[in-house]
Amino acid sequence: MLSRLMCDRCRLQLLLAGRQHQFFQRFKSDNSARFGQNLGPGGPWQSRGKPAVDAGATATMYMSAAAVFMLGLSYASVPLYRKFCQMTGTASNPLLARVDNIERVREMRPVADCPLVVNFIADTHSQLAWNFRPQQPRVQLVPGETVLVFYTARNPTDVPVTGIATYTVNPYQASQYFNKIQCFCFEEQRLNPGEEVDMPVFFYIDPEFINDPRLRDVRQITLSYCFFEAKEGLSLSLPGLTASPAAT
Amino acid sequence: MCTFLVKPPDKGSFPLDHYGECKAEMVEYMRCLKANNSDQAQCKHLSKRYFQCRMDKRLMLREDFEQLGFHQADQQPQKQSN
Repeated sequence: MLSRLMCDRCRLQLLLAGRQHQFFQRFKSDNSARFGQNLGPGGPWQSRGKPAVDAGATATMYMSAAAVFMLGLSYASVPLYRKFCQMTGTASNPLLARVDNIERVREMRPVADCPLVVNFIADTHSQLAWNFRPQQPRVQLVPGETVLVFYTARNPTDVPVTGIATYTVNPYQASQYFNKIQCFCFEEQRLNPGEEVDMPVFFYIDPEFINDPRLRDVRQITLSYCFFEAKEGLSLSLPGLTASPAAT
Repeated sequence: MCTFLVKPPDKGSFPLDHYGECKAEMVEYMRCLKANNSDQAQCKHLSKRYFQCRMDKRLMLREDFEQLGFHQADQQPQKQSN
């Protein structure tokens, strides 16, 4: 209706303006379709087509790598710690000083002001027919000196019998300082019928015994040997590695 | 009884003296212990003789006695004053 009141010139201008508007409208919608809808949080500089979860994936990879690294470090810590103790450890670490025991025996000196008494007990498992006893009921000693003692075993039967021995030290806290240089334990010992043999035990109490606060008032230690009959299928604990199950 | 943590001996096991080749030294050592109220410091020289016997009879590997804890200064038995 308005167009009827316009002159021809104005009508033409209006028409042209409308077409321009339509043209720019289309162009604008193309832009938004091409650029606008895929704009990421990074704005026009973010590359097209890659979703915003990239940051999350990178973080996950870093966390996984860190977890694997920590796991590997925990496995490597055992030999690393052992190496560290070897390099920096002194004789104050009797549990790990097995390699240096020979030097330890050579260099240690008796600690004269700590007299101790070691009592000896001999046991046999009920199925072992040996007569097994200590040659001395006790011995007086001090930490830091090597001591020789004897047990005696006799086979009164008329068949050869093979036995294997294990030992216990009481009190339990003293057992880590009780070092045997040579004895007769953990290896099979065979006695012929009627045979009697002397079984020596050569040991020492580590001088670090005197520095242990738990053992300050301990003056009596008991060494108890127990002989089992060595049969197939008999399994003793691995020495130095595990504690044997209670044998009652 | 017969439980707890145990450690293996440093040098393993003594070979058994089946023929009693060093029994005399052992008996002498035990007599000394009995005479000295089980004070083994008084009898160290006899235990050294026992080990010497074992080494001679090849019941023990030959070793320097210093490595077995027998030091030069402790050769003679000394009376301990308590």
